Amino acid sequence: MNHLSSPSPLSPAILSPAWHPIAAAADLPFRHVFHGKLLGRELAVWRADDGHVNVWDNRCLHRGVRLSIGMNDGAELKCQYHGWRYASRSAGCTYIPAHPANSPSRQVTNRVFPAIERHGLIWAALEPDQPFAGLPAGDWFAAREVIFHAPAERVLQAVAEEAAPCSLAWLSPYAMRLALRAAPEETLIILAQPADGGTTIIRALRDRAPSDAKTWLRQINRIFVTMRDAIEADAPAGADLAEPDFSPLPAELAEPAAPAPAGLTVTVARKWQVAADVFALNLRPLAGILPAFQPGAHIDVTLPDGTVRQYSLTGGPDENEFWTIGVRLMPNSRGGSRMIAEQVREGDLLSLSAPRHNFPLRRDALRSVLIAGGIGLTPLLAMAKALRHGGHPFELHVFARDQAHLPFAETLRGFGESVQTYLGHDPAQTQEAIKNLLGPHGVSQHVYVCGAPGLIDAVTRTATGLGWPDEAVHYEHFSNDRTIDSSSSFTLELARSALTVEVPAGCSMLSAIRQAGVSLPSSCERGACGTCVVKVLEGVPDHQDVYLNATEKLSGRSVVTCVSRANSQRLVLDL
Amino acid sequence: MITLYDYETAADCYKVRLLLGILGLPFELVPVDIYPGDDHRRPAFLDISPLAELPVLTDGGVTLTDAQAILVWLASRYDGDEKWLPREAAALSSVQHWLGMAARLAATAGAARMALAKTAALDVAPLQAEAHRLLRVIDEHFWFAERDGGDWLVPLSHPTIADLACFPDLALCEEAGISRIDYPAIRRWLDRVKRIPGFSVMSGVFPASRGRADAVVSTTS
Repeated sequence: MNHLSSPSPLSPAILSPAWHPIAAAADLPFRHVFHGKLLGRELAVWRADDGHVNVWDNRCLHRGVRLSIGMNDGAELKCQYHGWRYASRSAGCTYIPAHPANSPSRQVTNRVFPAIERHGLIWAALEPDQPFAGLPAGDWFAAREVIFHAPAERVLQAVAEEAAPCSLAWLSPYAMRLALRAAPEETLIILAQPADGGTTIIRALRDRAPSDAKTWLRQINRIFVTMRDAIEADAPAGADLAEPDFSPLPAELAEPAAPAPAGLTVTVARKWQVAADVFALNLRPLAGILPAFQPGAHIDVTLPDGTVRQYSLTGGPDENEFWTIGVRLMPNSRGGSRMIAEQVREGDLLSLSAPRHNFPLRRDALRSVLIAGGIGLTPLLAMAKALRHGGHPFELHVFARDQAHLPFAETLRGFGESVQTYLGHDPAQTQEAIKNLLGPHGVSQHVYVCGAPGLIDAVTRTATGLGWPDEAVHYEHFSNDRTIDSSSSFTLELARSALTVEVPAGCSMLSAIRQAGVSLPSSCERGACGTCVVKVLEGVPDHQDVYLNATEKLSGRSVVTCVSRANSQRLVLDL
Repeated sequence: MITLYDYETAADCYKVRLLLGILGLPFELVPVDIYPGDDHRRPAFLDISPLAELPVLTDGGVTLTDAQAILVWLASRYDGDEKWLPREAAALSSVQHWLGMAARLAATAGAARMALAKTAALDVAPLQAEAHRLLRVIDEHFWFAERDGGDWLVPLSHPTIADLACFPDLALCEEAGISRIDYPAIRRWLDRVKRIPGFSVMSGVFPASRGRADAVVSTTS
């Protein structure tokens, strides 16, 4: 009747000792955050709407407040204290409400522990790369967990003493197979979770559901509760029965987690056409999980021939298992998009940078207007998905040549009335449409635009004319069509590095800075993406980029180092 | 007009505000300065609350003390659907059972919380130990209730005043030095209460994320 009592597939020590059950699957209902503990470490455990189980350190990286009192919105976990948000899977911080116009640093990433859902339980390991070995496949049926305020050895010893003669076999230091004297005909698996030095959680499993589950669950619960009461009565009340453990974090945890590696390799899982001239690529990590990204982020893609191109991520907060980019085959392609369109196939590997965030989205606006021209839709698609997920009002206006050239038309249909499309508009009609859709500026209104330079110019000019302040107008250029004048020569002072660097004609500031041994991240290197922006302390920049807005350029407080130069003989940078 | 004599951070006052909010009843709020003012011990207040206790509710010529009694009054008088206070014998007696539990929670976890907030001088350790004993029983109750598809203290398809009566001291017990880490089924129920339409928060009680759209609790017929 019970196959476990006859020669069994379970040999001693079959369960890996590094993995412990930390919750029952039923402990993670829709949008709940479970408060767990393993080997003294507090855990915030939550299931995203896509089913992924996150097991994290139970504290916000900001002020150390427990994330187990936070809010699970189905894709992100929000801290109750100052609203910092962390993405499912990667635990990267995606939004800081106190700095709505900025992107959180990639370094702000919570500690993630490996987790597996198996046998109706959630298992976790505190160390990475530990092989998991569970029970044999089957319809394991777990009783209610019983929490003992006693050390694991003590509890396991007491459980072992309740074993029927010759029925006990150890499966790991924290697991055994036995029949209880109180029910000798039934073999159980007993799993002990060492929550901390003085707390042990016992779970009893049966190899299949009993015919009378209710009676069995009550019976097993009664047996272990009785055992618990006896053990606890025998020992002085544990200190943590009276006092919750509010112990301070170890110093190593107060440090941010190690930064994500600079590059990652992905597989092209799917490639499909989303407009007459646009391909979508679905990218999945070769190993591990993708880092968190924020709406508006772009990545550098290194193509098989070594060229590097920038593409925006189109996914919403609930799309963190894979990334989707859109690639337009330009008639005058420099080769990059042509190569993706013609040569890259499903199954190919691509090398990517971590996401860069130079086009951040505020999540506190009363009105967010997203304006896309053709392939410029890609970052705005991510923004629209994030705003929709968060329940924030938004409008998405998409300009395209015709229906065939409208990218991601199917996704757009899913937005219903939030989307408005404008097909075949000439510049005058476009101008008129922008004027009508923007309207005069009101409090807490922001417009985001991405597309051809003509569209961005039209939106920025129209918005300014309607009274929209510069800080409410956000744009992202794909490229900088201006001819760069690199004929000037000047002296750079790098204030923090205490270096003086000459920039001769024909050489960019970025190259001169790097040649002096100072590292500076860059991406497009054409004055469009803003990755290499540096603060200016003294001197007058000669702006040649399309990244900074008019106010920022006028203030002279920052400079895009890949294309801009100096109008003064000397420029002092905060580097 | 309903008048509630209230102390903002008192769990017993919060449970009355919860039901008033859920039923959508207009009321006048009279703040009583318990600490540091000690206004609840003044003769004028003792006339309406001889035990110097809050909340006090006056309504239609009736003056009521005791939070549980006030919940019974409001539900009987204003909830025509008879959901918050069911009248069927088994359900009604179960509500009464959990109203008694609410009083025990107030006397243990609630008292420890007030002591730690320095508004009462009490030895908190025995109060906390007794509260843990109650929480173990309540957690077990919810675990088995969930197995039968039950979401609430009383085995009905909707919450009752029993849930509202027990909620404040359970939601605030960590302020009483009573960790809820050992009570996962209670924590799940706290989320469910927070999703009742009309639910309101107080200091120390944080909102839950929205539940499933199709799982909105119906508290009216």
